[in-house]
This record gives sequence, C-alpha cells and structure tokens, in this order.
Amino acid sequence: MKSSTSTKRPAPVPHNEARTAASFDALYRDHVDQMYRFATRLCGEPEAAKDLVQETFLNAYRGYQAFRGEAQVSTWLYAIAARACSRMRRKRKGAPDRELSLEEFIPTSEGEFRLQIPVGGLSPEEALQNKELRQALDRAIAALPKKYRMVLVLRDMEGLSAKEVGGIVGLNERAVKSRLHRARLFVRRELSAQGLAASEPSHNAHNGHPFTQGGR
Amino acid sequence: MGKRITTRSAQRKPTRSPRREKERCVAVLKKLSAYIDDELPGALCDELRKHLGDCPNCEEFVLSLRQTVALCRHRPALALSQAERARMRNDILRAARPR
Repeated sequence: MKSSTSTKRPAPVPHNEARTAASFDALYRDHVDQMYRFATRLCGEPEAAKDLVQETFLNAYRGYQAFRGEAQVSTWLYAIAARACSRMRRKRKGAPDRELSLEEFIPTSEGEFRLQIPVGGLSPEEALQNKELRQALDRAIAALPKKYRMVLVLRDMEGLSAKEVGGIVGLNERAVKSRLHRARLFVRRELSAQGLAASEPSHNAHNGHPFTQGGR
Repeated sequence: MGKRITTRSAQRKPTRSPRREKERCVAVLKKLSAYIDDELPGALCDELRKHLGDCPNCEEFVLSLRQTVALCRHRPALALSQAERARMRNDILRAARPR
C-alpha cells in the first residue's frame, strides 16, 4: 500500500537494501532478547510484549539508514520501543496516567513508616523464587502510571543511567530522578500492602514482621 | 515516648520537638532515592545517615525502599523461544518489505 508509487523517498538501491537486511539480522540477533525483556517489563504480558518487539524492530528497520550511531545501538532501540509503547498504549485503554505527588507517600503513622517488604531476610534472588512475591512485584509495577513505570523499568530493571533514561524519555536528569523516586515509593507501598495478602501465615510466622500494623 | 513534658523549657529544644522530628523525617524521605543511589553530597549524606541512626522509623523505611529497588533489579526476565524469535523475525521482514 505504501510502496506502490514512489512519493517523496527514492527507492533504495538493491545494494543498500541487501546491506540493510544483513545489518538488520545482526541487530535483531543481538538485541531481540533485550528488547523482549524490556517489553515484558513494560507491558506485563507476553503477547503484548511480542507486539511491541515487532513494532520496535520494524521501526528500527525503517529508520536504520537514518541511524548514525551517535547513540549506542541499545539506547536507540530503547527509545524506539518507548515511543512505540506509548503509541500502542494510547490505542488501548491502559491505567490512567496520573501524577504521583510526594505527599501521598509521606507516612501518617508509625505503621506506615514500618511497612515491610515480605522478603523474610532472604537475598533478592532467593526471595524472588517465591511466585507470590514475583506476582506482587509485577502487579505493583503494572499499577504504576505509565510514565513512572517507563522510568523505573529503564533505570532499576534495565540498569540504564539517569542520563540515558533522560535521553530516551525526553527529560533532564533531575526530572528522571524525581520520577524514579516517586515510582519506587509507589512500588514499595504497593508491594508491602500486597504482601499482606500474598504472604499468608507461613511467611509471617517465618520472619515475624508485623505486616498488619500499617494495614490501612 | 511515655513521658509528656509540656513545660516551656522543653519546647525550646528544637530537636526534641515531635513536630521538628516529623519535618526532619519528611525531609529525609524526599532524599532517600538519592541516598540509596549514592548521589548525595558528603555532608548531606552524613546528616541523613545520622538521622537514620537516631530514627528507627526512617531506618525501617529506607530498608524497605532498598529492598524494593533490589527486587526490581533482580526480577528474572522472560525469554523467547528459538521458534518465536525466528517467527517474529520473518514477520518483521515481511512487514518491512511488502511486495
């Protein structure tokens, strides 16, 4: 449909096309797992994540000749995925994108200060072997308004620097850090509240933390 | 905690005022991510660490925030199967080069 008549863009010469295809294969091979991981963290479910990965690489393919290599390839792909994700989410009806204020995370009682994350003294790797905890974490991340989730996923899950995240989402470092802080506070609160339900008797008995004390 | 000192002389000591204490906790709470990420300037960091030593509530809070970040960092990722990877590659190329 798009390629039936050449409009603005000249048809690529076969040599370039072959080169693009070969480079694309390398790009895809080296980065598809990383992009799928990123996409599952953003979307929460495998099918939506696959759609996002396909959209990302399709856009990368189309934009490959314009990519000058000034950014790292992976940062460039993250940026394409982030844009594709916000377009896809706009079409569907996702969680409303509200602002998180710092004030809402200021504890009003001792119990809220002392909300516990149900890790029971284990290392993060060990604790995450618990399916309920993994699910609680995923739910907490999924419940984040999307612009906060984007920053948290890029920074705390994908391990990018605040500067890199800023480049991807179009914010300065200060704004990235502010968003990240609110996102972490949100996940902490959700996770500790969900922990009440997720870690029924066995966990409570195990580590003896009073999960219930800040329950409301 | 149990003692209720309401004399005026007690109120003159700012560090003893519960209100001041709460304000300090709130100020600390706002900086906790920077603290966890080791981004606070030395003097601020020392001040915050001192507060954490004196305030069990904030100490607990920072522990739970650290744990939250650690869980995010270590959340295992799902992986694609070989077949899915190949299928998606073909779909992308087909969409990219409509003939």
